[in-house]
Amino acid sequence: MSMPGALRPTDDSDVVMSCRVRLARNVAGMPFVGRSTHPQRREALEAIRSACGTAEATGSLVAAAGATGPLAWVDMPSMPARDRQLLWERHLISRNFADGDSPRAVALTQDERFSMMVNEEDHLRVQVLRPGNALRAAFDAAMAVDAALAARLDFAFHPRLGYLTACPTNVGCGIRIGVMVHLRALRLTNELEKVKRAAKELHLAHRGFHGEGTDATGDWFQISNQRTLGIAESELLEVLAARVVPAIVNWEREARRALVERQRLLVEDRVHRGVALLQAARLLTLDEAMKQLSTVRLGVSTGLVGGPSLDTINRLTIEIQSAHLRAADPSIEGDDDERAARARIMRAAFGVA
Amino acid sequence: MAAPFRSCDHCGKPAVVHNTVIVNGKVIEHHLCEEHAAAVTGQPVGPVPINALLGQLAQVGAARARGPTCPSCGLTFHDFKSTGLLGCARCYDTFAATLVPVLERAHGGATQHVGRVPPAGDAAIKHRNEQLERLARELGAAVAAERYEEAARLRDMIHALRPQAPDAPGTGSAGAAPPRGSVP
Ligand SMILES: [Zn+2]
Ligand SMILES: [Zn+2]
Repeated sequence: MSMPGALRPTDDSDVVMSCRVRLARNVAGMPFVGRSTHPQRREALEAIRSACGTAEATGSLVAAAGATGPLAWVDMPSMPARDRQLLWERHLISRNFADGDSPRAVALTQDERFSMMVNEEDHLRVQVLRPGNALRAAFDAAMAVDAALAARLDFAFHPRLGYLTACPTNVGCGIRIGVMVHLRALRLTNELEKVKRAAKELHLAHRGFHGEGTDATGDWFQISNQRTLGIAESELLEVLAARVVPAIVNWEREARRALVERQRLLVEDRVHRGVALLQAARLLTLDEAMKQLSTVRLGVSTGLVGGPSLDTINRLTIEIQSAHLRAADPSIEGDDDERAARARIMRAAFGVA
Repeated sequence: MAAPFRSCDHCGKPAVVHNTVIVNGKVIEHHLCEEHAAAVTGQPVGPVPINALLGQLAQVGAARARGPTCPSCGLTFHDFKSTGLLGCARCYDTFAATLVPVLERAHGGATQHVGRVPPAGDAAIKHRNEQLERLARELGAAVAAERYEEAARLRDMIHALRPQAPDAPGTGSAGAAPPRGSVP
């Protein structure tokens, strides 16, 4: 972009919450997960774990991912349901992976920058995660992880079709490069169509807060590549990092500026109502909390209100989810307890006891 | 139960119905969980007499026999159509004819990978050559036995596997691009 670097927040964190690069790989010579018996799944899990679980392998994988060790391996079937849901709420595992009882495991570093699901739809699903807009860094790390994995495992690869995946929509590069963006202003100004159209033209997918088939709870969207065949990884990165993400960031900032300039009173009204509601509520559903949090985030990022930092607001979107509340407070039993706990967390974050 | 730990053909749950049917001289095994067995027969598993169930499963088997079956993992065309998922690496060759339009739709017309290749690129080529050899043997046997449909399918698979010249006919516009991308 031609904008001087000093004028532009380096990580675009006012709009981009986080970015992720995910890889799908299968071990050569074994049936894919959906077609495998439990013993075969156990065998695949063991093959991956013994190839990646040694101290030497772990060290090079974690270093390649730019994460901080150690790499914890968690057996999913023996994990309590609440903790599985917690990992899902943190975007570390998929919904399908959280449920069920077939042999599978997740490996993750404490900083969550690097994680692997074993025996999801494919034998191996790798994720490199970075806060803010650090797509290029995440991409480089994912490529380094792929190389480190390929030195230890033989992946199913077809000379014409590339990396083979259980679902033909992932075949080829087997890669998803994506960002989570907060588009509150574009939604208020009814300009989300612009984003959706651009995404469609460039063969990108847009999804809600929790991935495929979910609502865009509170105006958060995930944008990622859809095509994986006939295009190189580096081209996919360029489409997103050089074209799509800067365009979306500028549109959202433009919409925020226009709102503050032309409809200041209306925006102030909404933002202050949001703060007041979160400071006053004694029972909060997740939906209501996310909606208000989204509006307040718009106010904080445009300087209309003080209040919690963007980092804190980002963290709150995760911490007010059900399993997180229940993990923090084991005395929670029913839905009302949960709503009350959510409201308490909000009041504390907004400086009200 | 004969098999101590089979999972359902359609999902990961333990199979409670195990059945082998012979359709057009081919042995097809079914392993279904309670839910999917009920879905197949339209009735819950429990109260149905077992022979009625077997009869219905045989009909399902007959319906499934349309289209190829993967010789490596046993996935049928019906399985693929109902789940959208393939069963193993070889499925990509088994269902090559059906997959081409699917891939074109999903990937903007492309049918040729241009991205990264594994560092053991030689191993991939070796693997491809082994596959080509095996398919050629099967093609010879199919022609000798006058199984022409199978022979045509094998020919398609061999064609799909062969490295393509950049101007090879019939590969589609985007598919004709020569591999580029990073080779570590
Ligand atoms: Zn089932
Ligand atoms: Zn197969």
